[in-house]
Amino acid sequence: MENIFSIMPRLFTITKRWACLLRAFMCLLALASIATLPGCATYSAGFAKVESAAANRDLNGAIKSLDELKLSGPDELLHYLNKATLLSFEGNYAESNRFFETAKQLMEKLNAISVTEQISSIAVNDTMKAYEGLPSEQLMVYSFEALNYLQMGDLDDAAVEARQFDVKQGLIAANNKGATYLSGAFVRYLNSMVYEAEGEKDDARIELKKALDGYEAQDSSFPVPHALRADLARLSAGKPAASEVVFILHNGLGASVDEANIRVSNPAYSPGQNKNMMMLSLAVPKFVKRSLPVHHVVLSANSSSVTSEVVEDVNGIAEKSFNDRLPAIIARGVARMIAKNVVAKTAKDKAGDNLLFNLVADIATNASERADTRSWSLLPGNIQMARLPLPAGKYDVTATYYGVNRNIVGMHEFKGVEVKRGRKVFVSDYYLNPPATPKSAN
Amino acid sequence: MLSKKYWLAIVTAVAVLTMSGCATEVKRMGVEEVKDLSGSWNDTDSRLVSEEMIRDSLSGGWLERYDSTSSKAPAVIVGRIRNLSHEHINTRTFVADLERAFVNSGRIDVVASKAEREGIREERADMDLNASDDSRKEMGNEAGADYMLIGSINSIVDATDSEQIRFYQVDLTLVSIANNRKVWTGQKKLKKNIKEAKFR
Repeated sequence: MENIFSIMPRLFTITKRWACLLRAFMCLLALASIATLPGCATYSAGFAKVESAAANRDLNGAIKSLDELKLSGPDELLHYLNKATLLSFEGNYAESNRFFETAKQLMEKLNAISVTEQISSIAVNDTMKAYEGLPSEQLMVYSFEALNYLQMGDLDDAAVEARQFDVKQGLIAANNKGATYLSGAFVRYLNSMVYEAEGEKDDARIELKKALDGYEAQDSSFPVPHALRADLARLSAGKPAASEVVFILHNGLGASVDEANIRVSNPAYSPGQNKNMMMLSLAVPKFVKRSLPVHHVVLSANSSSVTSEVVEDVNGIAEKSFNDRLPAIIARGVARMIAKNVVAKTAKDKAGDNLLFNLVADIATNASERADTRSWSLLPGNIQMARLPLPAGKYDVTATYYGVNRNIVGMHEFKGVEVKRGRKVFVSDYYLNPPATPKSAN
Repeated sequence: MLSKKYWLAIVTAVAVLTMSGCATEVKRMGVEEVKDLSGSWNDTDSRLVSEEMIRDSLSGGWLERYDSTSSKAPAVIVGRIRNLSHEHINTRTFVADLERAFVNSGRIDVVASKAEREGIREERADMDLNASDDSRKEMGNEAGADYMLIGSINSIVDATDSEQIRFYQVDLTLVSIANNRKVWTGQKKLKKNIKEAKFR
């Protein structure tokens, strides 16, 4: 048995090392805050540039600005998702799908847990974790890819996306029980068209039924699309599809996520402790909806015209998803702040009167606390669909965009759209709010 | 504080770990070597399908039956092989293997597909204008096919977060162009159990 006096020098050494480790930890936190702060600023400022260029239909400029952001490491997925979206807007569907495929593979890889990231997110903040996409975003990837294939006239590959979606949606629904907004109703509606065009009428009918159930269950802010009910009735009666132009509009931008500071009571506070420790200051993400520029679309060719229907409330789904995640984000934030405060206090106690170190510890604890404001920024606010039945032939098809005041806000013409008998032809566009006029510098 | 010796060791270890990932490494492999990375359809699946289909189609009774009624080799054209699976699969790999086996067997002729014919016809039209009389090829001498090869790849996926069972079924059929009769059907089934990594 060792004598207490004999182990004293060893204990002293261990204590010294522990103090060193604490200092090192606080330095790491400080470095993380230094790295995090300018990174966040660059991300949001940079993304405003991407959105502004896209709104001005300068897609090359938007892609250039996105590339300049150099989203990598934990933000790598955001690069692929946003780049694929811009390429799709540009009409470069094959290249867009190459990026979506890379995004999908990365999402699969990120399903596995990274211990380092988990520790970093508890020690520093949630942005240290790799962005793996919200479940609703993961589902949207399949509709974007399918739509790209459809616009390339590649039905077989669009159908592959439809089948992959079915597996993925099943997994997501199983992991998010009760989250009816994750039914993927719109994607299933689109997939039903793919299956029918492939001659898989039973699959098309089943997809339509699931889409109808999904729309009804997800308590949408819009009615179930009339055209979906008509399709279901037609397929159930065994009638063939009419030839038509299917137009899809990505309307505006989805919500942006800002940072908000909230104060919550410290569950680890005990009487006798410093009163400053009674409350914890947390940085949490804040959901900010953006206005939608287009109220409805009128799709016309020759003397025929049709009005669009909302088929997906991307904003609404994102908000429900956000609200479901918020309690866990706050709980994690509380645990993180308690841990940071304990470490900082212990380190400061060890450092004694070292004012510089105490300052660094305070900065590290508070400045490293950042909310995770990442999202697939270029997702639309909602998606509208207009289906114009036309006899076989070649048409110049015009999509006219009406704003909330029923005034025309924009127009897009698709020249020489070839409609084949009994077939659907897919075209799409996007419309973003014009960028705000820069304020004068005086 | 950590001694200089420790710091040096840490810096060296970090440098070694960082630099080891810098160089691209290429290792040649035998084409029959099996290496599954993601669990998706890969070269091994394609090879297993082509081996099975070649063996089955060349030994099937249809060829003997055809030989007993005709003095010339049957001509086959490749039609549509539909991908009805959950993956973006390139069906050309095993179809090209099958075509090659047909041609090299000396018992089956393979005629160019619709897309290939267009290029050849363009060339023949160009010859009409530019080639010498003795090398020019006339229009209207193309060999017509007796049979069309059609088929599909189907898949069934059963998945949880951590595990997947993927089942593929490849069906190929030779259909007589004269009377729509199916003279040969080949089938290959593949099944995989994929376990996802829990940690990365």
